[in-house]
Amino acid sequence: MLHIHALTKRFVAENEVVCAVDGLSLDVQPGEVYGLLGPNGAGKTTTLRMVLGLVVPDDGYTEVAGVRTSVDPFAAKSKLGFVSASDGVYPWLSVREMLLYFADLYGVSPDEAVERLKMLADVMDIKALLDRRAGTLSTGQRQRVTLVRGLIHDPPVMLLDEPTRGLDVVGVQTIFRYIAHLRQVGKAVVVCTHRLDEAERLCDNFGLLHRGKLRYHGTLSALREASGRQHLVEMFDDLMNPSSALNETNA
Amino acid sequence: MKLSWSRLARLSRKELRETLRDRRTILTLVMMPLLVYPLLSMALNRFLISSGGPGETGFVVGVATADESDWLQSLLNDPRSAPPQSVQDASGGNLAEFKVVVTDAIEPNEALLDNQLDVAAKVEIANNEPSAITITAFAGDQASQSARRILIERLHWLKLEDTVGILKRVVPSFTSFEINTTEIGERPSGNVLASIIPLVLVLMTITGAVYPAIDLTAGERERGTMEALMASPVPRWWLLLAKYVAVVSVALLTAVANLGAMFTTLSLTGLMPMLAGEGAGLGLKEMSLIFLLLVLFSAFFAAVLLSLTSFARSFKEAQAYLIPVMLLSLAPAMLSLMPGIGLDGALAVAPLLNIVLLAREILADNVHVFGATLAIASTVLYAVAALAIAAKLFGNDAVNRTSDASIGSLFKRPAQSTLRPTIGEAGMVIALLLPVSFVVSNALMQWVRSQEGAVDVAFQLTLNAFALIAAFGLIPWFATFLGRHRYRSTYRLERTSLGFYLGAAVMSLGAWAFAHEALVLADQWGWALLSEDQIERTRGVLDKWKTISPLVLLATMALTPAVVEELCFRGYLFSAFSSVLRPWQTIMTTAVLFGLFHVFVGSALLIERFLPTTLLGILLGWLAYRSGSVLPGMLLHFLHNGLLEMVARYHEKLSFLGADMESSRHLPPMWLAVTGTCMVLGIAIVWWTRPQDRYAR
Repeated sequence: MLHIHALTKRFVAENEVVCAVDGLSLDVQPGEVYGLLGPNGAGKTTTLRMVLGLVVPDDGYTEVAGVRTSVDPFAAKSKLGFVSASDGVYPWLSVREMLLYFADLYGVSPDEAVERLKMLADVMDIKALLDRRAGTLSTGQRQRVTLVRGLIHDPPVMLLDEPTRGLDVVGVQTIFRYIAHLRQVGKAVVVCTHRLDEAERLCDNFGLLHRGKLRYHGTLSALREASGRQHLVEMFDDLMNPSSALNETNA
Repeated sequence: MKLSWSRLARLSRKELRETLRDRRTILTLVMMPLLVYPLLSMALNRFLISSGGPGETGFVVGVATADESDWLQSLLNDPRSAPPQSVQDASGGNLAEFKVVVTDAIEPNEALLDNQLDVAAKVEIANNEPSAITITAFAGDQASQSARRILIERLHWLKLEDTVGILKRVVPSFTSFEINTTEIGERPSGNVLASIIPLVLVLMTITGAVYPAIDLTAGERERGTMEALMASPVPRWWLLLAKYVAVVSVALLTAVANLGAMFTTLSLTGLMPMLAGEGAGLGLKEMSLIFLLLVLFSAFFAAVLLSLTSFARSFKEAQAYLIPVMLLSLAPAMLSLMPGIGLDGALAVAPLLNIVLLAREILADNVHVFGATLAIASTVLYAVAALAIAAKLFGNDAVNRTSDASIGSLFKRPAQSTLRPTIGEAGMVIALLLPVSFVVSNALMQWVRSQEGAVDVAFQLTLNAFALIAAFGLIPWFATFLGRHRYRSTYRLERTSLGFYLGAAVMSLGAWAFAHEALVLADQWGWALLSEDQIERTRGVLDKWKTISPLVLLATMALTPAVVEELCFRGYLFSAFSSVLRPWQTIMTTAVLFGLFHVFVGSALLIERFLPTTLLGILLGWLAYRSGSVLPGMLLHFLHNGLLEMVARYHEKLSFLGADMESSRHLPPMWLAVTGTCMVLGIAIVWWTRPQDRYAR
């Protein structure tokens, strides 16, 4: 459903070329939750921004449901849902107005949008919030509204950027439920996070990203086998440490 | 996804809703007009009261005794103290009234300091006659200074009449000369302060537009909604257009609120006649015209604001950009208050200044059509250019907080070439074309005039051709180069079927005659705006044509326009518009632009050229669409212009064909029948030739 091939992005910072993403390739199938993991600055967000068409890659390409982003960016964008922890709301609009606005942006007809909103409001428990001004919502309520916004146009591929950042236990549980729902309805999901413990519980497949390069990818059991480590945290420790077993294996 | 009007309305409604619910908008929209005008009118009232005019009972002169009062009153009541009628007429026909009062309790000078009087006077009496009169005025008060000046003048007139009378009795041959006054030039209607009205409205409209412009652009970044917006499958310029509609709407609402508050305050406080002159005032007509002007101004300024705020990453940054711009925009507006500055020359295309000057002309009921049209057209184009810049900046990764890309990267040539320019780039090109072609052609005319006939016609025509290349050739070329668009697809330099060339050639045999007839009809129906002087000059130019080689005429007036204008209108602009508009919309848009650019010629407004040129533009656009190429249009354009010029040059020699054009100016019916048949045949050939499917591919 989501196919990323040799995606590369370089930036110039202080007269030095930095490769933020270096030849990244991966595939995510319908109903699969893929965890793109890495420390801060590993290139996770840049990867998502390239998939979303917000940043033009220097090399490589992305295909969303068979549509190449570089060939038809709007068709590709319409098949993507995107949720980020830093997402804001329009404070002076009601939740309903805001969500219907986004449905309109994605070309969902007004009648269909109302139906979809009704269904998603039930799933994410925001029915009581629909006519409230978005500026008055609490952090948790705002998060649920944002999650509904990402799904309002029923995209086959969902991208989640650090979805649990800044949330309390209840908020994190909501995210877990949300991702379970996405898996259940057959979406291809990419979750970018540095919370490895959460990723272990959430994802089916993993990609370990370090300095723009995908160092390892596969299921958790395959990863354990290759690294000889039990948990993702330990594997990451090895990755950051040049003399680690995993690095030796990769070399 | 195509942008439909209903979708644009829905997107704009969301922006408007968001803005209008914000209390900061309401503050500028409602509170400002409610507070500003009453306060302003109070300040104006004080200013006008102390600005030199007498009070309701006239100027008050204070003296110490009843005797002095009687003397001074009698001197002022003497009809000989009034200036001659012509002098009175020159100052509005009114004779200032003076009321002499005795300040019983206190000294006149103290009463003057106490603001009870306009001037104090001391009349010294010797031999039962006044021997000296001392007049004291208040140094810092305009009314007091005026009262003293007028009082001295009145007493001088009386002394003069006395002296002349005595002289005439003593020297009977003495004759005194008369003083008469006349005036030339236009007397401004009402007070100079009338110019302040449009200025205040313009400033208030700016105030209304500033907050929504920041909130809807930089605010998106600050709220964290920008990324979600940019990730949606909607072109940036759609989003920006919706925001633009919202900002213009709020600016207009502010304008209406201000216009209403100003009108009400001025009417209620009685300041209207003082500001706008006796009998004048803001009538319904003036109000409507000023409102339309404010629509234009809002459209312009909203675009400028959006282009700046789209660049900002935060509210604070946007405010930092806008404050200097608002102060800068005050400069041309203040300049417009100066006398002697009119809506002509380069000022007609000077942004902002031209609108305030036009407002001044409207209030003075003295609108010059050419300057007004140029001001309106250039303002619309500037708005388009500013919007194009805003669309490039809005949501751009280089402007994002999280991006490492530099702002400079926005203006670099892209690494990969593209097939055609964007609509925003086309907007920029159009906005540049008008002022550049206006300035270049006017500078050229000025130079030719300064040579006083030393420049021969052939050289003049060659210069004109170069001016055309400089504006309509080089600007689109540079834009194509800068945007790294492929020349062949941008200019639609494609090979096409022979049938289109044949059709173009046959059509041209008929098209010129229709252009000729349309011009003659426009002239006969009084649409032409040329003065007798200009018509005479045009005849002179046509006569001069007969003296030069037909080859020069064809090269400069047919070949150059055919190549340059086709590359610009049916090449660059056609390919840019074709990416977002339907074929017929592209044909009509390029044709109307083609027509409009032919209306502004030098310093004249040739409205009669609009219809025939637009019709020709439609024909050329249709041909360009069917053939998928700019080349057959070039042939049609060249033959059309060439035939028109050859008929103008040789029409005396064409009488053998029954062309008695000198008397009727219309073409003979036989000619019309033949050319009409050619036209239909040409269209039929193009119609039956297999179309090339190259539209927006």
